[in-house]
Amino acid sequence: MILVEVSVLGAILAFIFAISMGGLLWWMLHPPAMVGAAVAKARRSLGAIKRILVPTTGIPYSERGVEMACRLGLEQNAEIVLTYVIEVPRTLPLGVPLEDAEEKGRQALDRAKEIVYLHELTPIALLERAREAAEGIIRVATEKEVDLIVVGIRPSLRGAQHIFLGRTSDTLLRRAPCEVLLDKLPD
Amino acid sequence: MAKEKIAAPPEQKHELRREVSVWGSYMWGYADVGANTFVALGLVMAYAQGAASLVFAIAGLTYVLIGLAYTELASTYPVSGGGPYYTLRSLGDFWGFVAGSGLLLAYTIDIALFAVASAGYLNFFMPYVLGKEIEQFVIAFGPFQVNWLWGCETLFLILILIWLNIKGIKESSFLNEVIGIIVIVLESSLIVLGLIFAWKPELLASQWINQFPTFKSFTYSVSLAIISFIGLESISQAAQETKRPATIIPRTSLALTFSVFIFAVSFSTLGLGVLPWQRFAENVDNPLAVLASSFPLVGLIAGPLTAALGALILFISSNTGIMGASRLTYSFSQYGIISSWFGQVHRKYRTPVRTILVFSLIGIVQTILSFLTPSVMETLAIMYAFGATLGYTLVFIALIKLRFSDPYSPRPYKIPLNLNFKYKTLKVQFPILALVGMLAVGTIFSQIILTNKIGRIAGPLWVIACFVYYAWYRKKEGLPVFRSAKHDWEKEQIEVLTSAEEFDLLEQYKNSLAERDKKRVRLK
Repeated sequence: MILVEVSVLGAILAFIFAISMGGLLWWMLHPPAMVGAAVAKARRSLGAIKRILVPTTGIPYSERGVEMACRLGLEQNAEIVLTYVIEVPRTLPLGVPLEDAEEKGRQALDRAKEIVYLHELTPIALLERAREAAEGIIRVATEKEVDLIVVGIRPSLRGAQHIFLGRTSDTLLRRAPCEVLLDKLPD
Repeated sequence: MAKEKIAAPPEQKHELRREVSVWGSYMWGYADVGANTFVALGLVMAYAQGAASLVFAIAGLTYVLIGLAYTELASTYPVSGGGPYYTLRSLGDFWGFVAGSGLLLAYTIDIALFAVASAGYLNFFMPYVLGKEIEQFVIAFGPFQVNWLWGCETLFLILILIWLNIKGIKESSFLNEVIGIIVIVLESSLIVLGLIFAWKPELLASQWINQFPTFKSFTYSVSLAIISFIGLESISQAAQETKRPATIIPRTSLALTFSVFIFAVSFSTLGLGVLPWQRFAENVDNPLAVLASSFPLVGLIAGPLTAALGALILFISSNTGIMGASRLTYSFSQYGIISSWFGQVHRKYRTPVRTILVFSLIGIVQTILSFLTPSVMETLAIMYAFGATLGYTLVFIALIKLRFSDPYSPRPYKIPLNLNFKYKTLKVQFPILALVGMLAVGTIFSQIILTNKIGRIAGPLWVIACFVYYAWYRKKEGLPVFRSAKHDWEKEQIEVLTSAEEFDLLEQYKNSLAERDKKRVRLK
């Protein structure tokens, strides 16, 4: 009768070998599914957005727009351009001192920058003056060559506010040199 | 003017078919690399002695670095040129040619070496078939002693492989896949059974402690052990015929790298725990068959079975040599490195028939010449290592350079451990492991040149012979010899990714180029 000695350490090594090889081959034989041309185009077109403009007015809805822009730009490490446009009435010169409005704008921009920093992205803050908000936003979008404008607007607008924001949104949608995303919450 | 001439790939009426699957891609590489242990184990044991496992592990780590580099490059540039293509794209036509000549030598030697070794394992059965040992078929041929039967067996095997490769990649791939599955199962069984029933840790420890080699033998054996890891290139050579190469190749390449590493270290560890290293040194032609024969109970069957297994895997390894050489020259003919005559694709089979025939014939000539030398296997093995390490050194340099010159091509896989910094206006990642790999392979290459006569003389002679042809052809075509012709790499990359149906990478690439162009406009 032939006796065969079994090595315990050898059996452990054999087990490690079998697990390693099996795991390796299983991983290799399960590649990710194929991405079709149309799907890839849609998916990667968003990745091409490297500079996003967010006009802020300091209200919570526009700050939500900043957050949304950050999340859209996170994967591709996009630059977030923040702008607060001071609308100067036509009855006044464009360079007229408007300390209160400027202070309000700076505060709005600081809050927006804080959101951007939380996402470890790079903010560019611009305090602009224009006769109309849309005009200032489009000017910044053109000068900074942004790829996308994200605008957060109020869910429920009444009276003059409705006309004002509606006009800005309308102008942006018609004349912006890039993609525009309006974020309006339900009433 | 010469420099204005464009050597970009010509429009091809017949392109290579994308037939190679995940398993097929893995097996093209495994068939080439996996077989090396069958040849190298005895040679390495003779010098590494009780430290064979350590030697295989050290050489294996260098090989892992080579594997990681090839994984990055093959998934970024899924074309059939392999290492020489990356070098050409990075360092220019001349250095691409130098890398190509080195790897072409490795491929043609691969055909010869593994066909010789395959026939050698078949000769294990000679006493049962003809009733004689193979050594009895040696005849005097002038000043040479030639084993005519072994030589004829080898040539017959090469002719079969030529026929299979001309018929097409699907047929050859099928052959690789079927035989490969059998080989992997049997090799794994050998390791598992051996470790459980025949392995003695005390024998391993005793050999490690009492029979550790001298420093000189140790370093030389590391150079020899690298031979057992050559062949990963085959996967990238088949990239243009692989389905979804940028997705598949990183997986097959990494799996191959680590599985071959596991096999090589396991076999050497098993061997030292079953038999004294001297037994392997005495049987360099069939070390694994000797190992299997020594297993209790199953040894009588395992020995012949391993010999048959060795013959099979070495046969398909020889096949990958034909495949690699033909694909490499096909690729070079498209970039104006060699005549487009080589690039002609067969109308019916759609395979590069001329390159298959020409370089298989070179393999046959090398086989015949090697049979005239005192040690067939050693001559071929040294030339194999020379060609491969020359090519690999340049591939590492190419990888580093491409990180700077082409940061736009999406890299589905990146060699780990990178140093981030800004180069001009770009964010670049410097691959530290590629630098380590370049130094490691460069050291082995230098050692082959400095310590071995055949490597020192025959290796450079091969490169010079190739250079004579290259210079003649480039002059004839009005192309610069040492400088590069113009190549439209961006257009080619888009075409390659489109034909490979790697649409996700294609969109990433287009976006990167668009962003770069936008930046250029801004700077202006």
